[in-house]
This record gives sequence, structure tokens and C-alpha cells, in this order.
Amino acid sequence: MRWRKVLATVAVAAVGTGLLTSAGVQAQGDDVGAFRQTKTVERTFTENGDEVRVDRRDVTVQVDHTRNLRGRERVHVTWDGARPSGGRSTSPFGENGMDQEYPVVVLQCRGRDDASLPAAQRVRPETCWTSTVQQRSQLQVPDAAAIWRSDRYADDTARSALSGVRTLPASCGGAAAGTSTHVTPFVSAKGQTFASCSSDTLPPEAAVDASFPPAEQAAFTTVDGKGDIQFEVRSSIENESLGCNDTTACSIVVIPVMGLSCLQSDSRQLNAACRKQGRFEPGSSNFDGQGVDESVSPRYWWTASNWRNRISVPITFGPAPNVCSVLDDRPPVGFYGSELMSQATVQWAPAYCLRKDRFRFQHNVLPDLASFQLMQQDEIPGAFVSSLKTVDGETPTAYAPTAVTGFAISYVIDEPKNAGERGTLNLNARLLAKLLTQSYPGSSLGRQHPGLETNPGSLNADPEFQALNPGLSTGEQEAAAVLVSLSESSDVIKAISTYIDDDPEAHAFIEGQPDPWGMRINPAYQRIQLPVDEWPLLDTFTPAVQQECLKQNNDTPYLTRLAAPVTSFVKIADALLDAWPYSQTKCSGLGTDQFPYVLGRADRQGVGARFLVGVTTLGDAERYGLHTAALQTSAVSPRAPFTTRGRQFVAPSDATLAKAISTARPTGRTQPFALEDGAVRQANGYPGTLVVYTAAKTSGLDRSTARTVASFIRTATTEGQRRGSGNGFLPDGYLPITRTGTTAALFASAQQAAQDVEAQTGTTPGGPGGAGGGGSTDPAAGAPGTDGVPSDAAAAAEDPAAAGGAKQPVDAELKSLGSTQGVHSALGAWFLPALILLLLGCAIAGPVIRLRAAGREDS
Amino acid sequence: MTVAPLNGRLTGQRRGSGALKGGLAAARDTSRVPERDLVLSSGLMVVALLVAWVLLQTLVLGGLSYSRAQDRLYDELRADLAAGTAPTGGVIAPGRPVALFSLPALDIDQVVVEGTSAGLLLDGPGHRRDTVLPGQAGVSVVYGRSRTFGRPFHVMTHEAVGTRLDVVTGQGRSTYRIEGVRRAGDDVPAPPAQGQGRLTLITAAGDGRLGGLRPDEVVYVDASLQSKPFPAGGARVNTIGQSEQKMAVDTSVLPLLALTLGGLLVAVVGMLLLGRRLRPALVWTVFAPVFLALAWFAADLSVHLIPNLV
Repeated sequence: MRWRKVLATVAVAAVGTGLLTSAGVQAQGDDVGAFRQTKTVERTFTENGDEVRVDRRDVTVQVDHTRNLRGRERVHVTWDGARPSGGRSTSPFGENGMDQEYPVVVLQCRGRDDASLPAAQRVRPETCWTSTVQQRSQLQVPDAAAIWRSDRYADDTARSALSGVRTLPASCGGAAAGTSTHVTPFVSAKGQTFASCSSDTLPPEAAVDASFPPAEQAAFTTVDGKGDIQFEVRSSIENESLGCNDTTACSIVVIPVMGLSCLQSDSRQLNAACRKQGRFEPGSSNFDGQGVDESVSPRYWWTASNWRNRISVPITFGPAPNVCSVLDDRPPVGFYGSELMSQATVQWAPAYCLRKDRFRFQHNVLPDLASFQLMQQDEIPGAFVSSLKTVDGETPTAYAPTAVTGFAISYVIDEPKNAGERGTLNLNARLLAKLLTQSYPGSSLGRQHPGLETNPGSLNADPEFQALNPGLSTGEQEAAAVLVSLSESSDVIKAISTYIDDDPEAHAFIEGQPDPWGMRINPAYQRIQLPVDEWPLLDTFTPAVQQECLKQNNDTPYLTRLAAPVTSFVKIADALLDAWPYSQTKCSGLGTDQFPYVLGRADRQGVGARFLVGVTTLGDAERYGLHTAALQTSAVSPRAPFTTRGRQFVAPSDATLAKAISTARPTGRTQPFALEDGAVRQANGYPGTLVVYTAAKTSGLDRSTARTVASFIRTATTEGQRRGSGNGFLPDGYLPITRTGTTAALFASAQQAAQDVEAQTGTTPGGPGGAGGGGSTDPAAGAPGTDGVPSDAAAAAEDPAAAGGAKQPVDAELKSLGSTQGVHSALGAWFLPALILLLLGCAIAGPVIRLRAAGREDS
Repeated sequence: MTVAPLNGRLTGQRRGSGALKGGLAAARDTSRVPERDLVLSSGLMVVALLVAWVLLQTLVLGGLSYSRAQDRLYDELRADLAAGTAPTGGVIAPGRPVALFSLPALDIDQVVVEGTSAGLLLDGPGHRRDTVLPGQAGVSVVYGRSRTFGRPFHVMTHEAVGTRLDVVTGQGRSTYRIEGVRRAGDDVPAPPAQGQGRLTLITAAGDGRLGGLRPDEVVYVDASLQSKPFPAGGARVNTIGQSEQKMAVDTSVLPLLALTLGGLLVAVVGMLLLGRRLRPALVWTVFAPVFLALAWFAADLSVHLIPNLV
């Protein structure tokens, strides 16, 4: 579900009106740059000197946000009033979209459509990115089919036999008599010209099997003239040749293909070819890539006729991820923790480091518990966690609510019969349990697994899924048998497993009760104790295989290879963007020394048959424009006959996150709020809602670190909660924490926490723990600040050997930390003497016994 | 000591001259020695051999294995330094060389490895994984053995005190001055000020008359950083296991050790059984390599059970 960015901005502004935050900044969002433009486009022919209008339409293009984009971010492009397309191809991307009629071509181009700019900064076909030669160049086309030479808007040079370049590079073949060639070279950001008429002359990012699949689309317009796509933009990091970044202006160019406007040429054949109006019915499909009428195909987007119909959407890019390390040479203050924060912190960081009166904020992703431990050991000033943590010998800690966000079950699923992507998906806890417990066999290999023989092969083959999501393809698909998930420990995994455990149907399934269609849990996971922080891979079944390649690589359990969890959520988002599962199930190689049989990552899924479901953060889902599933909130008894009626599904949105937060109960001053799954469900809140806290010590921090943390909490919960895409603003996927409204309690708690951290007078309820001696004293004034990188932190704890968790405050006056504690080892004391004695004893006793025995016999 | 009687039936066998040789020769004639004594005697001999082997390995052969490991680690570190891939922080794989200690006054070089478990300290001094690397700001802690396996840190508590210690890591060269030995009861120095560095070398020592044989106390040698400290690298390991603490033993080898000792037992029994049917020379020929291999392996494993600082 795409959030209504503009509406949200308005809503936040309304809530925040007149409310000055403590930083004196009004809680208003900034403009994300929603775009809307209407243009009249037409196709005309010249007949006997008269202009004949063939078609004329008013096309309106809207883009939901265009400012401060980041690499691979997807923007939602919609249009209305375009000519209905025909011959829909399965994939609209790159050259796969070429065999269509009247599509809408959407490209990313460097430059702006602004007549006041110098020519070099303007958008032209030469600065528009495409991935293949076919999208740019027409080589040695017989003159009678060279329809672009009959374009009535083209100038004379474009109508000559060779156009676009003065001379053709050798690798592109020569000019044969009676043929025409047009080349649309690509000019890179550095000014280099790539002729783009053969694979050698393309820019490097356009290589076959490039790391990023094509993003440019020839998108389909439905019979009512509407269309919408998620368009992925590329920054200079992904595509250096295109070179879009915060300093280089770029545009998204939308070209509704109306067909070539034709001159009357002398050749009857050419006239006929140019005037063709399509052979496919509007709305029809072109599954097998049949030829289309060239004059209305997207191949000729660069012709003057099509190019003049373009609508250019100016876009801007956010600062590069390394902006802080480039522009700020202060040492970074590293906050470690939850990946849920990453989309927010990527926007926050420049707002800190680019101001001299602040510090250089840095967020490093680490599992919640590990970062909490680091914080307790004074390695880092603060940790981002989503729940209460406990460690031995803990120093009093304040939890400041810093963001309201959560996890999303994101997916990319294509409708059958070439009908585009599925926009909504309903999932319940039992389906998640089935996916996570690897109870779908996936393929014939998994079906050998004892206990899984009769289970549906994959999620889409499961009658329960079909009942909740009618109309999708039901053929078994390997990648649809698992949920792409995280291999690390995370509060997100804990939240998902809690959601599963609290659901009566899912709980019964885990306990071994079959679902109403007889599907059973994978025996390896039966009665697994939930919740867990880290999802275990328990299945050990290795199937019998026939293929030689598989035989040689059959040492990892099949279902584990299929699940293939990854180490970060952003990798899952990448997999969903590319529809490329991580499953290690593709066996390739020749079995020779040079090309041994290897198991590798499965292939990218073809557009039109995509089916991939994964766990992502809400921030990533919004940034990358991923579809997110609605989760069931109503509890249904596993004994009741199955029905879809009465089941409530809640998708993530500002409203449903707010509903979930309204059930949060405080558990103590500056302690995490209790967000209980049952209460959230009852309130119809989004079950994936999580609060991310900044956890920091309220005792034992030196003054400057304490001040840094407190100022971070204050800034993050005031200025950092304004919705927007600019530096310091809160991106979509996060519910702003405000002084009033649903999140007021969180706001108040955060301010208290900031106060407590700054004061550093916290006490542990159970008295200072740790045997290291010396309670906590106030750090002496002027004690050396650690600037958040306390490299000497582990230091003092070492010498007083028993010091477990307790840290001595650093005090310049203190000369000694007490006396060295002795460590005595009895083993160390006695093993050498004992061994020597043993050796002597045995070496003497052995022969002596024998000698004496032999002597007795002899005598 | 009585001289063993000559055994007339063993024709062609050269007569031993010493008590031990005579005893062994006598033992070959199993018919003449009672079973009980034979078993007891053989058992004791095996134990003696094993113990001798362990002592030999820890005190003598261990030095050879230490030297060899140091050679290898030196090469590895040199390659790392040349390639610029020597670790400078973060989580470093245990066993990887991280620093080179040089005592120019004594012409001693030691390569420090990452990790402080007993097994890792066989190869050289070990850097405690939850502290900063030598040369960096803060307190770096390095463990070393004082008695066995090359006894690298014996020198640190004796000749090296008061001299200069040069350290080379991936970040460059640092100079420390070895301040002195600190035992239980001595004052712990204050943590170094911001931007200062210290190196604490930890080993074991004994005192009293048999102190050399009984290294039972942990002693600390503090060295202060004289050169400019390097910044601490990435986040380190935040907790270390029990087996990496001071004077810890590595009990993870116990199952394997039990199997090896079991193997030795089987070999003893087998030797006794076969000794009744085959010629003793043949029996020894067959079993000597087996004993040697098993004993070597058992000793290799059992040294993991020696406290890591000894």
C-alpha cells in the first residue's frame, strides 16, 4: 500500500499547527514534490499538403514524490487520458517492452526540460538511459521501412540516411546502399559519448546481466486510458554514466507513444509503414513477442514526433550516503542497533553532521541485543532497540522512544494472464507460520520429506491462501514456499514470532494440529517454543537426488537452502525489487575441473510470473515502493470450520500504526512501553507496529557523551519527526511522534529520558551491581570526554580481574583503582611437579614390579 | 638393583646389561611372569611413557613447535603488512597474527595472535579480543605463556623490565616502555588519559624455592605507550568466553582426548593379547608407531588443559 504522502503531510501539518516543539521548530512536513501535469499530445499526418489529425489526447501525468530521492527508490507514476495500449508484453522493462503498441515510455534522463538552461543541462534523447541497443538505434534498415525518415517533425539531418552520428563506429557495421541507420548516442555525465549501436559501444552499466536489471519501462495503458507503475530511479552510485545525484539535475521523462506523425514521402511503402495504426486490439496481450506495427511501438521514442509529446518530471536526489564522511572530519558518534531505523537515520545524519553546533551522527546496523550490550559496556553512547533488554550487572538505562515504525510482509506477485502486479494481499498468522516452519515442500525434492508428502507445494498452492487471496495463479512455485527472512537476531523476528504464537490458529498449527485442508507442520518445527529472537533453521532433511549436479552438492538440507535467510532487511528489499530469490537451489556447471558442479542462487523471476514474499522494514517498503501485505487481526478458533467471513486484515498505514500505538501502556519512567499483540489486534492496529527506542545509560557516562545523547534524543523526537524527504525529516514508513495526539505519551517519555541521560544520576533498583569495587561517583568536572568513541573503555575493566560489568568512572585525579587482584591457579601450581613425580614413580615402579616377578619365578 | 637373570630360551637375543633392559628382556617371556604383575607393569610403563612425552612436549618439543608457529605467523603477518590487510580493529578471526613485539635490547621478536584461549597461546602471545589492539589509544591486553611452549613471556617479567618494546601492527610502529611487574596487592594504575595508550602483558609466575616449577600466580606487566596512539578500529568483540580468561583451560578438547586415551587403552590390551601369539619383536614393531601416534596426539590435546598463562 502506498501511503498518501501529500495527505499525510497535510494531516501532520494540521496536527502540528501552533505547536512549537522544544527545539522551537514547528512540526511540519516538508514538500516531497508531488507532480502533476497535463499535456495535449497528438499524431498528425501530412496528406497532399494538408495536416490531418489522426488522434489527439490530453494526458495527465502524476508522480507521488520527486524530491530527495535515493538510489533504487521507486516513485509512483500514474497517468490518465493516454491512448489505450495493445499487444501487452509480459515484461515492460528494457528491450522486453519493445513489442507493444501505444505504450507509455518512462525513462530517467539527465538534465531538465527548461528552455532557460544551457543546452548541455537540458534533457535530450542522448541523456536518457536505456539498457540495450535496440532501444536506441536502428541499423541498416531498408529505406522503405525507415519510418523515422518520414517523421514530419524531424529536421533534415535526422531524415538523412545516417543520422545521430557523423560516422558509424566500425563495430556497428557499415552503411549499405538502400538502407538507413539511426543511432541515438548516449552522453555520460562526464561528457563521454557512447555510440550505442553495438554491445561494445554501450555505457558500462548497460552490460548484459548488469547488476541492476533495466529500470526503464514501456508501460501499458488500460482501455480506459489509465496506467500506473512504480518507477525505480538510479543514482550515480548505481549508474555512474547516467550520473544523477544531489548536484546533477535529472528528470523522469514520460512519453505517451502516439505513433509517428508522418510526412507524405515519395515511397508508397514508406508512407504505408509510417501510417500504420496498430494490429493489436486495445487491452490485448502479446505473450509470444509477435511483431508489432513499428510506427506505434516504443522503439521510436527518440523520434521528434514522440519526443515532443513528452512530459518531463524534474526530480532531485538526496545527499549521497557518504556526505558526512566527505564534509565532516569530526570523529563519528556511532549509535548502533535496529535496522528499522535505517531509512530515518539516512535522512537524519546530514542534519547533524552538516551543522557545526551538532555532532557527527552515525547509525550502524547491529542486532538489538548486541548493540544494547555494547552500550552497557560503554563502547557506544546509545543503542537502538525495540524492546526491554536485560544484561548482567546492568547500569540503569533510559529508553527514549525515537521512532514508531515496524515490519512489513512485502511481496511482489504478478496477476495471472498478464494483468500486472497484485496490489493487495491478505495474510494470517497461520500462513506466516507455514512459511517460516518450512512446511511447504517447494518441489518434488522437498516432497520426499517425511511428513510433507501431502502438503501443498507452495504458498500459492495452499487452499487457505487461495481463499484469502482469490484469483492468483495456483501452480506450485519453489520460491513461493518460503518467506525471505533474516538470519540474525532481531526484535522484528521476535515480533513476528509473537504474532504467530498469539494467534489461536497458528498456535494450534505449531502444536501439530493440521489446518482444515489437512496440511501439517514440518515435524522439525513441531512444538517450537515461540517467541524467538532469531529464527532457527531446524530442518535437516536431505532428499535423494538423481541429477549428477545435485548429487555432488547434496550436503546442505534442501529446505534450508530454499529458505536461505539473509543478514539484513535491505537485502530482502533488494530481492523483492529484482524478484530474485536468495534460494540456493540452482545447480549449474559441467562437472569438469574448470566448470565444477555448483549450487547457486536461483534465477531472477520473469516479470509476469513473479511470486516472492519477504520480511522488510516499513521504511524500506516505503522507500522502494514495495507492496505490503495486510495482516489478520481477528482471532479465529482453530476448531471452527474455516471461513473467510469475519476475518479482519489490517495493512500498514499512519492510521493503523496510530491505532496500535494507542494500546501502548507505560511500564515505568523511561522504560519501554508494553505493546501487547492481543491489545493491538483488538484495536485493529497494524500487528507489525514496533517502537524503536534509543537506549542509553543514566549513570556512568561522562558529561560530554551524556550531553550528546540527550541532544540527539531531543532533536530526533522534535525536528526529526517532521514528515518529509529532506535532510533531518522523517521519511514515509514512520509515524511521527508528536507532543499531542496518540504518540503524546511516547513524546513525554522521550523528553524524560533525555533529561535523565543528561543528568546521569540514575540508580539501579537493586543497588550498584558488579564486584569490581567502587560505586559510581559523579564524573569529575573536566574529565576527558570520550566523544562517543570510548576506545579506552574496555580498559579499566581488565585489571581488577573480577570487574564484570561495572565500569569505573574516569577521573583525572584518581591515581589508582585499588589493588591488583590475585588470580591463583592450583592447576598452574601443581601440574608440572605432579607430572614429574608421576613420571618418576611410574618409570621406577613398572620395571621394578616386573623384575621382582621375574626374579621370583627364577628363584 | 638386581641384574635380571638370563633367559636361555631367547636364543640369538643380545643380552641387556642394565636393569631396565634386563627387565624388559625378562618380560618378553610371558609364561614366567604372573599375569597380574605383567598388566600392572605394562600399565605403569605406558603411563610413564605418556607423562614423559607430555613433559617432553610442553618443555622441550613445545619450544620447537612454538618456533615453527612463530616463523609461520611472522611470514603471514609480513605478507599482511605488505599487502595492507593486517587487521586494525573490528572482529578479528582468532589465531590471526595482529602485531609484532620486538625487544631491541634483547633481540627478541614475538608475533602476537588474536585470542587468548590455551590452544591459541601455544603459537605465541595472544591479544585479548575485547581490548584495543596494541598501539591504539586505550588499554590493550596481551596474554603469554611463561613456562611452556617457548615461554615467550618469561622474559617480560625478568630481563625485559625497563627496556623498550616496539610494536608493529597494521596501523604502523609504536613504542612502549615496559614499566614494571605488578603482582596481587600492588596498585592498579589509573586508566590512561584520553588519547593515551597502555599495554598490559599478563602471564603466570611462581615464587618460593620451586617457583620455576610452580607458576601459579597471575602477574601483570604494564607498558606505557611512548609514541602517538593510533585510533581504535571498529567495534570489538564485547564478551569473551570462559576459556579465554586468565589461567583458563580449554576443556573443549576433552571428548577427543577421551577417545584418544581410549585408543591407547585398546592398543595396550591388543599388545598384551597379541604378545601371547607373536614374537615380541613383531609386536613392538607393530605397536610402537601406534603408541607414538596416539601419544603425540594425546599430548597435543592435553596441553590445551594446561592453564593458558603457564
